[in-house]
Amino acid sequence: MEFLTWVEQLPFSTWVRESGSLYGYSLILTLHTIGLALLMGISFAVDLRLIGFAGETPVAPYERFFPYLWLGFWLNAISGVILLMADATTKMINPVFYVKMTLIALAVWNVTIIRKRMFGNSFPANAKTLAWISIFLWIGATTAGRLMAYLGPVAGLQ
Amino acid sequence: MVTFLDPFATWIQTTQLAFVMRDNQWLWAFCETVHFLGLAMMVGAIGALDLRMLGVAKQIPMRPLHRLVPWGIAGFVANLTTGIMFYSADATQYTHNIAFQFKMLFVLLAGVNVLYFYGAKVSQRVEALGPGADAPMSAKVVAASSLFLWFGVMYWGRMLPFIGTAF
Repeated sequence: MEFLTWVEQLPFSTWVRESGSLYGYSLILTLHTIGLALLMGISFAVDLRLIGFAGETPVAPYERFFPYLWLGFWLNAISGVILLMADATTKMINPVFYVKMTLIALAVWNVTIIRKRMFGNSFPANAKTLAWISIFLWIGATTAGRLMAYLGPVAGLQ
Repeated sequence: MVTFLDPFATWIQTTQLAFVMRDNQWLWAFCETVHFLGLAMMVGAIGALDLRMLGVAKQIPMRPLHRLVPWGIAGFVANLTTGIMFYSADATQYTHNIAFQFKMLFVLLAGVNVLYFYGAKVSQRVEALGPGADAPMSAKVVAASSLFLWFGVMYWGRMLPFIGTAF
């Protein structure tokens, strides 16, 4: 807890949380939203294709969309760490935060499996199952993220 | 600045919907979650189409990719619905919130962009694009505008509690 307090009291963390600057908390939150849209949105598009809702598009070129998906992932990893630093003492003891992290880890792991199998030599028979799992994991992660503003120790404006 | 909307805002604020939204924190949280999923669906479907027109993943022919559009529309409808629900709860505040005004302006411009895409038949020229084919410049402008406007909508949405009078 001492460590968390130290992190939270760092000048940078304090500035993000308290400066009121539009480049502080609000910008980081915006980047977190844009990252979410890229990561989850492109993941959804690939999932919908695999499930069969986008017709008979060839699958292989979808690989070109993945850099944008990973751009979203890194945007959110970085902005997420900053948001965590700003409210370390509350978020790190909130069970919902760990549920969110677990769901994201599973979702990202699932994305890497989909990518590897989809663009490997043989198109997997369980592609649809993986795609449905992906959709449900992302819905779960989003729900957990939102609930962090309502359940457990809640910090500041969300 | 937008005082002509005040009677509407005052009215919607006193509807049953507004009361339910204000009294029910969990309904609010649920709607927020749906709003996020809706925006991801829009970016996933419309954004993928925009990227293709701009030259990313050119090997995908346009016609099948266009079949993602109904999912983008579904995301928009989900966000319009939940958006009206949020708005009703605190309509006067939102109406006069500069971030909200910009958000709505960007949504309207994005709508005009869509009308141009289909109305000026840019969509038809794009539909026919096979694997590897480059989109015409008009389509690229539409695609770039679409990405700029929708990410702008997200920016203004996030700014609601930070710019202007909100909460």
